Amino acid sequence: MIYLGSTCLLAIVIMASSAEFGSLWIIAFFLSILAIMLIFILNYADFVVFPLFTSLLGVKIVPAKNYYMPKDSSSIVKNVGGIYYATGYLTANVYNYVFAAESVDEDEAAKLSEGPDKWERIVMNAGFPFRFSFVSVAEDVQRYRDELEGKRGVLEFQLSKEMSSSTPSELTIQDLQRKMNVIDARINRLSAGERPVDSIMYVESTAVGVSEKEAIDSLSNQLAHLQTLFSAFDLSITRVVGRELYHLFTYNYVVPTRDALADTFSAER
Amino acid sequence: MAISQKFLFSILMLISLIFIIGIYLLDVPAVFKLVLAVLALAFDLLAFSTKLYMSFFIPFLKAKNRTVTLEADEAFNMAPSGNAIVVRRGGSVYASAFITIPTYRSATEMNNEEKIDFARLFSRALTISKSSVKFATQLYVINKDAYISNIRGRLDEAEEKYQNASMNPQMKKADSERTRGEATMWHNLYDNVNKVGSQALEAFAMVSAEGGTEEEAINLVLQRADEIASGVSSVFGVSAAVVEGEDLLRFVEPDHMIPPITVGEQLREKNMAAEM
Repeated sequence: MIYLGSTCLLAIVIMASSAEFGSLWIIAFFLSILAIMLIFILNYADFVVFPLFTSLLGVKIVPAKNYYMPKDSSSIVKNVGGIYYATGYLTANVYNYVFAAESVDEDEAAKLSEGPDKWERIVMNAGFPFRFSFVSVAEDVQRYRDELEGKRGVLEFQLSKEMSSSTPSELTIQDLQRKMNVIDARINRLSAGERPVDSIMYVESTAVGVSEKEAIDSLSNQLAHLQTLFSAFDLSITRVVGRELYHLFTYNYVVPTRDALADTFSAER
Repeated sequence: MAISQKFLFSILMLISLIFIIGIYLLDVPAVFKLVLAVLALAFDLLAFSTKLYMSFFIPFLKAKNRTVTLEADEAFNMAPSGNAIVVRRGGSVYASAFITIPTYRSATEMNNEEKIDFARLFSRALTISKSSVKFATQLYVINKDAYISNIRGRLDEAEEKYQNASMNPQMKKADSERTRGEATMWHNLYDNVNKVGSQALEAFAMVSAEGGTEEEAINLVLQRADEIASGVSSVFGVSAAVVEGEDLLRFVEPDHMIPPITVGEQLREKNMAAEM
């Protein structure tokens, strides 16, 4: 919030000083609006800005010796003895995944038991190299526990308020109890020694070709095929391009810390 | 010396602020003030972009021939002990180690309860370490480079033998036929070895540590890797182990995930099929 707030504030100050520019105030006003818009676009859609920038300027990025990102910033290419290896990434965060200990309805258990089957089907149907990665970063147990207990307190208050009202809603009570059960299950798991984790999941695939274009085209086909295969998991799957592509590439060599992960993947809130 | 992102952000914001103060304090024509406003906005935008593009900032200013070099060195170096990789970034040294997780059970041989239990074990395994861990499963092309090279060598030998035999008038017909048969056999084997792409699935965990020196980082990471290996072993009941030697490259290099000779032969087959 500091970055977004402070930079927008400076643009607003220029906007507010329109009187200083005489008849040119409209240009200053327009430029300030444009700057604020650009800051917001960078913050929320840098995956559009970065490839556009590199494509327009024809910039090739070299993330390490023997590797390069072509100007569309959609893949990382390596040339080994005339064979081109193009690597690309897809996001694959399992948003809807609920662990058995937290599950309170039968649907979730069914989803959980279907997971291994779906995974094996993906592997059988892929037919080309790919890697599913799960980066887990441990959170502070005490802070997480305090957060959960805080949430539980709020739910307890809401439940008692609902139960003591003149017309208590059965549906609301059930919903609140269900949410409390989920939180209780999480607290129990913490007591049993498990640690809360932040995570990021992604799929990486590599394609080969005798030319850069062939490798990149082949990679695009592979990623499209993986998108279809992973849709069985009900995931949000998007191709990673630009800045984030570079960071995922570096994760092959160094696992990020919690702060590095938060800096790279969270938009300014 | 590496410049920190916060430092660069502060400097650029300060420059922007100086231009804005200039707009208010300087008694100059409006056009000049507009130029100051444009500069202030440009530095403001640059300051914000440091949040996202800090890694690209300095290399972009040093770009040559439209090539922005973020890192001129190899992506990693192998540790002398062969069981970790070492990465240098700025003034920091990182070491990463890999742990194989050999799980051989298939979902087809599990009942529903066992599948749910497996998912529970998986969730438990994810939380075994305090430090960041990457768990991954990869489908890779089995390295048949040595096998293919061996067959190619035998094929060359057999063809040479057959050529010599056919040019030698004293050679018996039966012997000549035998050498021809041998060459045909190696030819068929060579053609068939690439028709089917052999792939394997393996799971692994990766952990990293930062150290003041290379040795410190390696020692730290191997300590963490041992912790994870014993944790994973006890959770899944398998013998997880730290990966050593050339096997480690399969997790970090695309040309080891898809070996060049193996895939080169497959591409040759594919091109021949396309031409036909």
